[in-house]
Amino acid sequence: MKNSNYCKKLFRYFSIFEYEKEEQYLREMHKSGWKFIKVTGLGIYHFEKCTPEDVVYQLDYNQDAQKNPDEYRQMFSDCGWEYLQSYAGYSYFRKSAAEMREDEGIFCDEESKLMMMERVLKGRMTPLLILFFCCLMPQCVIQITLGNYPVAALHGALMGIYLAVFIFCAKKYINMKNGRK
Amino acid sequence: MDQHIKKVYVPMTETAFYILLCLREPNHGYGIVQTVEKLTEGTIRLAPGTMYGSLSKMEKDGVIRFIREEDKRKIYQITDLGEEVLALEIKRIERLYKIAKGETK
Repeated sequence: MKNSNYCKKLFRYFSIFEYEKEEQYLREMHKSGWKFIKVTGLGIYHFEKCTPEDVVYQLDYNQDAQKNPDEYRQMFSDCGWEYLQSYAGYSYFRKSAAEMREDEGIFCDEESKLMMMERVLKGRMTPLLILFFCCLMPQCVIQITLGNYPVAALHGALMGIYLAVFIFCAKKYINMKNGRK
Repeated sequence: MDQHIKKVYVPMTETAFYILLCLREPNHGYGIVQTVEKLTEGTIRLAPGTMYGSLSKMEKDGVIRFIREEDKRKIYQITDLGEEVLALEIKRIERLYKIAKGETK
């Protein structure tokens, strides 16, 4: 990837529930003198050289906000959070740790953190589930009845991958609900 | 009162309690944040993600209603249903307080 002395682009992949990991990653980058500019494509993170600083990054996922984005961003900016961009349904915010009394986030109770997770689940998992039940599963059955076993096997394999993703997400959600480790 | 609303709001979160309490006067989200900070002498600083999510959920539940928008800030006020749940919650907290202080017969 193209890098210069002042800018760099890095590819990082975070799965749908790893927004906390992503927040941590952006904070560490800023601490080491690389300020986040934007994320594009499938996960290309653009950075710009800066003075190292402890800056807290936070992601929110809220479809309600899309109806009135100005009002939504105003509330965050009133509270001192700089709006950066929207990407794949997420809104990115940052605030310098020096402006905080203690570690502060865009959520101040467990209930609202869980509510955000539920929004992510609904927003990101529902399309996958529809694809799974309305497309993959019937296709697999049709291919079996047609005797098209290699194609059926391919669908079966895809379903296996999907199932693994579902189980992984469900496990993470339950863990979070039982006291967020 | 709707049993579902009662189940969700009694007891309610501290955030929901402060929102209902402050919205007895029309106010916007950030106004609530500031009022709560003053009321609690800086102990509680409500965060914007929590505030935004709670306001939209509480509006859907009909305990607060949207009045108008001013300078990109939505102004809300408590509804009759909101007053009802708030009264129930205050009663519950009073009972807890009395029990804790050993004031019950």
